[in-house]
Amino acid sequence: MSWIREGELGLLERFSANILKAGPMPRHVAFIMDGNRRYARKRHVERQEGHTQGFDKLAETLRWCLNLGIHEVTVYAFSIENFKRSNEEVDGLMELAKEKFLRLLDEQAKLEKHGVCIRVLGDLTLLPEDLQRLISKAVVSTRGHNKCFLNVCFAYTSRHEIANAVREMAWGTEQGLLKSSDVSEALLSQCLYTSSSPDPDLLIRTSGEVRLSDFLLWQTSHSCVVFQSVLCSSQNTRFWNLCEAVLQYQLNHRSIQARELHREAEAAQQLEADRSCVTELLQQGGNGKPVDARSRHTVLLSYTASREERVSRFLDALQQKRDAYFLDMSGLTAVA
Amino acid sequence: MAIVYDLVWRVLHLLLQLQRAAVSAFAWKRNWLLWRRAAAAVLLPLALGFANQKKLGAAAGKRPSRRYRVLTDGKALEKLPLHVGLLVAEEEVQYTDIANVVVWCMALGISYVSVYDNEGVFRRNNSRLMEEIVKQQKELLGSESCKYSSEFLNNGADAQEQDDGKLSIVRAAQQLCKSVEQKESTPKDITVSVLDFTLRESKNLPDPELVLKFGTVDSTLGFLPWHIRLTEFISFPSHKDVSYDDFLCALRRYASCEQRLGK
Repeated sequence: MSWIREGELGLLERFSANILKAGPMPRHVAFIMDGNRRYARKRHVERQEGHTQGFDKLAETLRWCLNLGIHEVTVYAFSIENFKRSNEEVDGLMELAKEKFLRLLDEQAKLEKHGVCIRVLGDLTLLPEDLQRLISKAVVSTRGHNKCFLNVCFAYTSRHEIANAVREMAWGTEQGLLKSSDVSEALLSQCLYTSSSPDPDLLIRTSGEVRLSDFLLWQTSHSCVVFQSVLCSSQNTRFWNLCEAVLQYQLNHRSIQARELHREAEAAQQLEADRSCVTELLQQGGNGKPVDARSRHTVLLSYTASREERVSRFLDALQQKRDAYFLDMSGLTAVA
Repeated sequence: MAIVYDLVWRVLHLLLQLQRAAVSAFAWKRNWLLWRRAAAAVLLPLALGFANQKKLGAAAGKRPSRRYRVLTDGKALEKLPLHVGLLVAEEEVQYTDIANVVVWCMALGISYVSVYDNEGVFRRNNSRLMEEIVKQQKELLGSESCKYSSEFLNNGADAQEQDDGKLSIVRAAQQLCKSVEQKESTPKDITVSVLDFTLRESKNLPDPELVLKFGTVDSTLGFLPWHIRLTEFISFPSHKDVSYDDFLCALRRYASCEQRLGK
């Protein structure tokens, strides 16, 4: 089954989509589509069959999102915790992933036509090497596309992601690119795997579970979270479930504006941090002499400028390091 | 055509908002009916009690029965969370209702209760909430139970700060980076468990297993992002006049739910 499904909506669906589009639409939707195994058990089919159907449903959901004008989608494909499952099942899932990424590489023309950029988020080094290579190839070959974005979280948990971001910042301080006082909420966000995406506006979890299961905890802290009780791979998951979630987002739209408020608070925190760094600097260099307000202000401005420069240099270095991994991995296949 | 869609959208949302208002009004009315029924149930044995033992005061007849009910309810639940978060996502805050829920949690034997709202109302008025909790505790559980749980109150119930979530992670990150800067550790030392440990240095609370969310907003509004990894979220339309039965129903739902932890 292919990643990109083409096809138009039915008349009624198109009509409803247009009505929804008259309101505020989410730009980025995240999905936890679980319940594949429960579905398989219910229908008395093999577990693997359940997972395969889950993927097909994903492809269909992507098409619906595109039809609704949602251009960025993030899905939780495989959690680091899932490695605890039986060997047989983990191997099966890895095989399925290999098959699907191979398929993806065959579909270059389609991906180009729709401008789909694929990103794979997670600690990929935990995966078998051949899968790492396939993933890298897919990521590198679609990097230039910018019409719609599909983020696949694979070997991912949010806590690992946050810990990884802290590790990268520590690497920056070790390399002398950063100072530990430069660490801020904004910088941490930019060190996460999701640094190139806006935070999701809407998170949908199917299957009736009412928890986040270590998915995008940082990024969805002010998003609209919708729990639905259909199993994702079942035939009953329909276009209308997605519409319902979008409606719920629209009803919440005004209350979730708190996010903007949070951003202001963030800027205030940054200013406060800069001020205290400047005070420290002045105390160290000024031999205890009192400093007048104007020169203090000049020092603050120059400090802020130098901090911003450090941060942007560090982020460039981090991006290069990440790109290098994908390039390296995808290049290996060409040599072999 | 766009105007038609826009019009239909507006009508649809108006209807949904009406429906929402109707649901909360209905919830209020149902609570009121339940309350009346409960009052009748309490008053009836009370009247009998008066007939049999005239020495006992009315209050003494009523309170223990409620208290024993709560205690047996706690034992009847298959699993009880250690830490419950109360997330209030409403503009108007009723201290009495929140205090009630806190007291029910305590009576059931839940060790930690965190109260959170994204505007920081509870953090600013922490003492008012505490007062209200003590008052409700006396009212609901009788004065003798105050002794054993007042200590529990000091470290158990806790009004979370608004910036306790991401900001505390940033502070922990700064601390870890500083130790790398001073060559005390290397980036490789930083793992999930190290970060978790650093985060718990300032305030050692277990992760909340259950969050009761009050209000129609479907969002966690920044509530402890690191700690809610496996937290179950159960929503109530409002915290105003929330009833004991609704509360117990949520805990039953929590007790019946199975967590597979990735397996």
